[in-house]
Amino acid sequence: MLVLTSLSFSAMVLFCLAMSKHREQVLAHQVSSLVVRFLRPLAWLLLSFTAYLSVELFGWSIGPALLFGALTIAILLLILLLTYRAKIVPPLAIVISLLASISIFIG
Amino acid sequence: MPYLINKLHLSSPHWPLVSRVFAALFGGYVLATSSSLFVSQILLHAVGKYQAIHIGLMLTFIVYACAAMWVFSVASVSKAWLGLIKLTIFFTVATWFLMQFTGVTS
Amino acid sequence: MKDNFRQSMKWLHTWVGLIVGWMLFFMFLTGTLGYFYQEITRWMEPERPFIVHNISNEKLIDTAQRYLNKHAAGIDEWDIYLPNSRDQNLRVGWRHEPEPGKKRGQYITKVLDITTGEKVESRATGGGRLLYRMHYRLHYLSTDISYWLVGFCSMLMLLAVITGVVIHKKIFSDFFTFRAKKVLPGWLDIHNVLSVIALPFHFMITYSGLLFFLFTYMVLSSNLQTNEDEYSAMRKEIYPRTAHLEKANQAADMLDISTLYQQVKTAWQGDELSYVEMFAANDVNAQVLFVRHETDITYNPADEVMISAVTGEVITQQPKEYTAAGMIHNGFISLHEGQFAGAIARWIYFFTGLIGTAMIASGLILWTTKRKPQQMKKPNGPDFGYRLVEQLNIGTIVGLPIAIALYFYANRLLPLDMVGRAAWEAHVMFISWAILLSYPAFRPAAKAWSEQLQLAALVYLALPLVNALTTDKHLFNSLSKQDWNLAGFDLTLLLVGSCFAFAAYKVKALQVSNNSSKRPSTQSSKQRVKQGKAQLPATSGSLLPVQQAHKEQC
Repeated sequence: MLVLTSLSFSAMVLFCLAMSKHREQVLAHQVSSLVVRFLRPLAWLLLSFTAYLSVELFGWSIGPALLFGALTIAILLLILLLTYRAKIVPPLAIVISLLASISIFIG
Repeated sequence: MPYLINKLHLSSPHWPLVSRVFAALFGGYVLATSSSLFVSQILLHAVGKYQAIHIGLMLTFIVYACAAMWVFSVASVSKAWLGLIKLTIFFTVATWFLMQFTGVTS
Repeated sequence: MKDNFRQSMKWLHTWVGLIVGWMLFFMFLTGTLGYFYQEITRWMEPERPFIVHNISNEKLIDTAQRYLNKHAAGIDEWDIYLPNSRDQNLRVGWRHEPEPGKKRGQYITKVLDITTGEKVESRATGGGRLLYRMHYRLHYLSTDISYWLVGFCSMLMLLAVITGVVIHKKIFSDFFTFRAKKVLPGWLDIHNVLSVIALPFHFMITYSGLLFFLFTYMVLSSNLQTNEDEYSAMRKEIYPRTAHLEKANQAADMLDISTLYQQVKTAWQGDELSYVEMFAANDVNAQVLFVRHETDITYNPADEVMISAVTGEVITQQPKEYTAAGMIHNGFISLHEGQFAGAIARWIYFFTGLIGTAMIASGLILWTTKRKPQQMKKPNGPDFGYRLVEQLNIGTIVGLPIAIALYFYANRLLPLDMVGRAAWEAHVMFISWAILLSYPAFRPAAKAWSEQLQLAALVYLALPLVNALTTDKHLFNSLSKQDWNLAGFDLTLLLVGSCFAFAAYKVKALQVSNNSSKRPSTQSSKQRVKQGKAQLPATSGSLLPVQQAHKEQC
């Protein structure tokens, strides 16, 4: 469940970075347009992987239900961070996705 | 009689709205019911009687919601009522027509 | 109706949401608490013993069976509920023979003390079940009226959800937008964000809520298409049940259930027993059903094992056959109830339910915020309708949580031997809600918001203290015994209380800053009071985005 939430969070951060109005909010420096173009497909990829993982971990019936729950929590967290502490979003996303991937490989 | 009609304030600006609310509430319900009869007649042979009825019933809430939205979106109240009545008649007649073939009485 | 489709739908969304908004708020909040109804009941019966760790399922089954042999002799059907993360006491239940003229007999449950093997006498209480039943059965009203009223509200909720999606212009480009600093866009964003992030949940919970009473609401259609026998056959097809043998009226000795359980453990490759059901006890046809925690939203045959209690043979069961429509129907109902949810998933359910509640609240507040500038310009003050909405908003959004807290107070403070004690707990809740609903009529809106928020903070923060003074099941004991069920309840109260305290603080701070900037200090005190009254409601909208943002977090 925590893995799902953290992966959804990272995917949402990628979506958010793909939108110019939020990118300025979060990052201090400019990013090359080449990188920006890859952000959205990458986000979809990560989201699909999370969906796959939810089914793998919890089965066809419970998995998707939990995935939506995880997405809700992740998006709410991201929106609150964007509003009140925008600058810590990128480092937090990196830390969280690292923790998630470590826990996948260990657990 | 004219006195009674005057009493009802039929010229009041609220009447069209009240009429629309009634159309959505009761007209929508009757339409949803007739749609469920129609759906269950169509599906009868494919999935069996009980499941056909069940599917028809489960769809009624969506039909009801769409009907209510439609009633509040059209330009005039009479159009809203007429539309509901026409569609209800269509569903009922189509159901009756299908029943002649299926031979199952509802 | 309006110039274009979107405008018409916007109008519809606004008014549909307003007329049943408070009722939906009540249904969503009590329903959300329902996800923890067992935990709440456990807290409301403080006579039950603390959790006992590390006792094998076999020993628990033996304890329960000994008790049942002694106290439920001659009863055919009984059940054993093993302690789990939701209710950490061992419980047993049995059904008496139906009285003449009745379909089913009375069902009795007892909580057992694991160490002594005897039952625990608890105070009379409605518990969490009463709270959760209110969200579809209401209170004080007859069953039929309640179901139809709830159905009407749910139908309008479904309408509001669909029209809400239709009128939202920039669902994706505004996905992460929250303009907290501005009043009206701020409230709009809150409402949008709360709706969009949990949209699948909102749709699922509303539609499945209607499906629960499908045959009640669509009675006309089902009566037209089925006669009585067909109707019950159809219901059997939609809700298949586990079959079990009937009593043969031939006495036989049963094996110990804990011995039978060994076979189940091998079948499951695990020890996660949830409950045991006994059919036709002490008869040749005696059968025991072992059920574990659900691993599927509809039904998974692997989660149940039926064994003959006389021969010890595993009885292979006919798997329940669902039709496709039945699968969808039961899937929705299971998603609504969330019985399959483990600890974390349950918290997410609870949290998402609160998001739904907050969505309704923010929609109601948005209604007043939008009309405020115009209303405040009126020479005779705001319209009656506007003031009524504002009053009901305060009395419901803050008043109902206070009333629920007072339900818990009543549980701790009403005399134990009081006649009709359980009923009075609910009376206390509804009387206090009525008071809190009418109170804002006599106060300026901003004052009422701030005062009720302070009261809410006070009642929630003080409740663990009252618990400590009246019982031994307080936070210090529950934490040191690692009884997370009890400790979690008190900690949640503290968290909710802190959120209310923070909201009250923010409201106060914003009022002060608004008043000092808006009001020239040279006015006479009389004028100041007069103007203050007219101005205070105007300020309440501006401070609320922040407060709501924090309420979401609780």
